[in-house]
Amino acid sequence: MEGLADSRILIPARTKSRRTQAAIEQGIKAFFGGNALVAVIVLALITIFLFREGFGFFGQNLANLRLYRQAGLEYVDIIRATAAQHEALSRKLSEIRLRQVRVMEKRNAPLDEINAALASFDQFASAFSDTAENLHGLVSDLTEQASGLKERLFARAELLAQRSQLEQNGEHDAAAKIVLPEIDRKSAFDSLHQGAATFESVSAEMTAKLYNLLATAPPLPDPGGQKAFEQWKTQTREYLAGLPAASEKLRSWSPDTAIPWYRSISSFLFGREWVTASFWQDWYGIVPLLVGSVMVSLVALLIAVPLGVASAIYVSEVASRHEKRLIKPYIEFISAIPSVVLGFFGIAVVGQAVRAASQSSFFKWVSFFPISERLNIFTAGCLLALMAVPTIFTLAEDALRNVPRGFKEASYAMGANRLQTIARVIVPASLSGIVSAILLGLGRVIGETMVVLLCAGNRIAIPDFTQGLGTIFQPVHTMTGIIAQEMGEVVRGSTHYRALFMVGLVLFTITLGINYLAQKFVARFRMSIG
Amino acid sequence: MVTVLEMPEITSPITVNQPATAPIPEVERGIIEIESVDFAYGTNKVLHDISLNIPPRSVTAFIGPSGCGKTTLLRCLNRMNDLIDGAGITRGSIKIEGLDINAPHLDVVDLRRRVGMVFQKSNPFPKSIYDNVAYGLRIAGITKRTLIDEAVEKSLRSAALWDEVKDRLHVSGYGLSGGQQQRLCIARALAVEPEIVLMDEPCSALDPIATAKVEELIRQLKEQYTIVIVTHNMQQAGRCSDVTAFFYLGRLIEFDRTTKIFSNPAQRQTEEYITGRFG
Amino acid sequence: MTHPTHRTYQRSVERLVFWLFRLATYLVLAAATYIFLDIGIKGGRTVFTSTPPFINVPFLTEPPQTLYVFDFEGKKMTLGDREFRQWKTAHPGVEVEATSIAYSAGGIWPCIVGTALLVIGSMVLALGIGISSAIYLSEYSRNGPLIRLVRIAILNLAGVPSIVFGLFGFGLFVIFFGWNVSLIAGWFTLGLMVLPAIITASEESLRAVPQGLREGSLALGASKWQTIRKNVLPYALPGILTSSILGIARVAGETAPIMFTAAYAMKDEMPWQVAKFTDFFFQGVMALPYHIYVVSSKIPQNEYTERVQYGGAFVFLFLVMLIALTSIVLRERSRSRLSW
Ligand SMILES: Nc1ncnc2c1ncn2[C@@H]1O[C@H](COP(=O)(O)OP(=O)(O)OP(=O)(O)O)[C@@H](O)[C@H]1O
Ligand SMILES: [Mg+2]
Repeated sequence: MEGLADSRILIPARTKSRRTQAAIEQGIKAFFGGNALVAVIVLALITIFLFREGFGFFGQNLANLRLYRQAGLEYVDIIRATAAQHEALSRKLSEIRLRQVRVMEKRNAPLDEINAALASFDQFASAFSDTAENLHGLVSDLTEQASGLKERLFARAELLAQRSQLEQNGEHDAAAKIVLPEIDRKSAFDSLHQGAATFESVSAEMTAKLYNLLATAPPLPDPGGQKAFEQWKTQTREYLAGLPAASEKLRSWSPDTAIPWYRSISSFLFGREWVTASFWQDWYGIVPLLVGSVMVSLVALLIAVPLGVASAIYVSEVASRHEKRLIKPYIEFISAIPSVVLGFFGIAVVGQAVRAASQSSFFKWVSFFPISERLNIFTAGCLLALMAVPTIFTLAEDALRNVPRGFKEASYAMGANRLQTIARVIVPASLSGIVSAILLGLGRVIGETMVVLLCAGNRIAIPDFTQGLGTIFQPVHTMTGIIAQEMGEVVRGSTHYRALFMVGLVLFTITLGINYLAQKFVARFRMSIG
Repeated sequence: MVTVLEMPEITSPITVNQPATAPIPEVERGIIEIESVDFAYGTNKVLHDISLNIPPRSVTAFIGPSGCGKTTLLRCLNRMNDLIDGAGITRGSIKIEGLDINAPHLDVVDLRRRVGMVFQKSNPFPKSIYDNVAYGLRIAGITKRTLIDEAVEKSLRSAALWDEVKDRLHVSGYGLSGGQQQRLCIARALAVEPEIVLMDEPCSALDPIATAKVEELIRQLKEQYTIVIVTHNMQQAGRCSDVTAFFYLGRLIEFDRTTKIFSNPAQRQTEEYITGRFG
Repeated sequence: MTHPTHRTYQRSVERLVFWLFRLATYLVLAAATYIFLDIGIKGGRTVFTSTPPFINVPFLTEPPQTLYVFDFEGKKMTLGDREFRQWKTAHPGVEVEATSIAYSAGGIWPCIVGTALLVIGSMVLALGIGISSAIYLSEYSRNGPLIRLVRIAILNLAGVPSIVFGLFGFGLFVIFFGWNVSLIAGWFTLGLMVLPAIITASEESLRAVPQGLREGSLALGASKWQTIRKNVLPYALPGILTSSILGIARVAGETAPIMFTAAYAMKDEMPWQVAKFTDFFFQGVMALPYHIYVVSSKIPQNEYTERVQYGGAFVFLFLVMLIALTSIVLRERSRSRLSW
């Protein structure tokens, strides 16, 4: 061991560079720490920018709603609603006729005979739709007036904004040069208000005609049709009874009634219409989009949850090792299929297949078949299900696998078979893990864009729920879809642009909520398995 | 059914081969001075009021039943416990050569270079044998190949491993047997020429021959190094240590010259533990 | 004791239920297989040819063109933009009534290039930030309120829909920073989107490196950074990269985040045809997923468009699945080999 002491000089003691060394170490640590903070910063920035771009929406939308009232658009829409109701009644008549035709066709009646039998009914129907002629005329007159006023008001508001902008910049001369056009709102409204008188006379005339018409309504040959027709008659009477209320509304309506600020929020959150770039009035109601997203996700989950959970149980409890080694990576592999490819596949194959199936004679008994739209909730739901299955499968399988072996053994030891053990021990023990898997699947589905954009049909309307199960074969639009579709084309800073950011914010909040719930369940799962 | 765990009977008599002139801890000024140290893992206090002075250029053995805090105290000496979240000294101080090692501006890296450590569980790096030993030197900024070669050979010789590995210096350290891996770790610690070497049960995975080699090594090393060794093997403590500290439930029960502890312990607990009548 | 018939009844119920489970599992696999086959076969017709070199080189190396379909002397002609103009000069004075269908002729070369550029840039970014964050979280951080906040942020960021990332990228990079629709805006948007996945994967790999290696190194007088660089990262890096490959598949496969941050439906110049160096970063590019979206929604479905629709989908699916497969295979391999 000699010589050891002498060689102690081998490593010089750290002396002068100690400070710099420590500083470098600190610097590196700070660098990494800064990077770790990126996640927090990004989350904060997402929130901030969604708010920043979206928040102006409420102010702009309020102005939009105020203009709607001030220009008298609202007034015209009251009358328009009565005209629309009349049209709806007309449509119902043709539906009744269609049913009659179907019934008679089933009895193999020739076409001539059908037409002859329904001749008096057809006469009645056309007389009915004629009664609204004056009403429609009134609506189109007033529409012209109101939109003219709206345009002038809008232009004036623009100029006003321009002027205040100039004044803010200190260019008072230029500001003074801007002349605001005088708008004689009073006379404009007077002429609108004359519409109320006209409406009263028009509706009185129509009411009289309709009561006459109803008295001479022809009978229908088929009892089912007759019943529907009777129903229709009561609806028509109700409609007529409602007309005075509309007149009352018109008389009491004033363009200067204030619109409270919260209307801009409530019209977004509870608005049932999303109408943009319209010549008449834009509406930014999120309900149809929200309903669309929820419906598509529900259908997707209804398909994906049984498949995902069943295959998770199969792989973790039933399958042989060989199968396991094949199935697990394969399902994981499925999760990597790009959503746009799935969407394309939906357009090219699935939509067509769904419609073809609905037309086949095999499904003749289904009341809402054949369907007219190949791209609908169901088509999108099927494809989204394929995206959700891997998520649900992977996480649920994880949860099942983590159930302590002791639980199972205890159950087997009591003479339970495998199915009983699965149903009574393994699944209950991992239930919160499975629930969190399903929630994360939901999060993935509700936030998915390309598949719904390509396959959900993109019709902005709340689906008609009276159709029962047939509802899921209607096209919808979704929150993600609307952002993707309209963001590229809107004017930056416009109400529409901000509305899209608000939709994004709602989507963001929903997914955060789902994520939070999922984490709760994961925590509970960890606790339950010890 | 209740199982009673008993210490195995010690069959051979403990031989203490120390001259009677070994330093008396209470009198000498130690190279390591531990002063009324309390230590806690979070809220779990595991060391209570430990005070002892470890004499320089000698071998100090820590003995005591499992879980009594030997490793914890040992890891305090090169501040290895810094790595454990929430763990730390709650009272008292530890000084090495008069310097408080927990002082805020102390350079931990330098401390650890001067206070080397061999772990209870051998932990060679997944590198070649050569690179394992050279690691500390390279870290310290030594790049000269001849210097490193020399140091590697010397350290491996010191750890009694050279003859076994000299033909395969460049194969992975993972390819060695458990005992060889432990000696590799000793060589690795020696390569940076620390002043103090902490050994946490260095022989727990070794066969008797390798153990003898390591013990021989320890006896030689103490000429230049201060060595602190944790061991469960009473004979080993007796054979190679100069002073011995006996711990029980996180307290220092007795600290004295090994000859004294093994022939005439002052405390009943110490005697019972050493003679295997513990429990 | 249970009655024997009851036991057989139980057994058949068990068998039935297990068969249902099996059916569900194979239904999923079959559905996916059907997609692969459908796109593989129909797209294969575009991408492969029956004559050497067996691969439709023009489709892979040419930009998309407008397709012209017209009747000429009783024959149906389908010509790409360039060919159509040549044909016209070759037949002066012939008036034809041609239907034009956008994107349906030519190939997808610029889209492949654009996607590759987007993937490379965003992965460099995500790996840089992601690995650094993971190092901090696994090696430096002590449990505290800030670290908890970071972890919560990572967890939640992972669940944010890609379209919201698109909106965010649009609001921040495209508008606020004024980068317009550009490669760099796409890089940041996509990079931040995969960040949570990369951090989680990297941290897992770092934690798999045994603590003994760190302690051993520190006890030899290595500083923290030396320990990480020499004795932790080298052993964690293979794992980090393996699991990050799945991130590549995700970045390559996403459409929504790049729709309004980086992608153009049509662009005539290739990305390297820029006036000055910095323009490279601030140009929009064509991207394969966006191209597939455009050709499947903006042009009709018929015999003339099927070629590019299926061809593009095939190439894209093939590339992404190749990446995913690599990742899965590598991981399965390392899982069985890794032992400390
Ligand atoms: N990382 C840790 N976190 C929390 N408690 C710990 C940790 N390490 C050790 N302990 C606790 O501290 C006490 C002392 O442990 P220590 O490892 O020092 O014992 P030891 O004397 O070395 O035992 P052995 O002879 O078995 O190695 C034990 O009760 C142990 O449970
Ligand atoms: Mg110990």
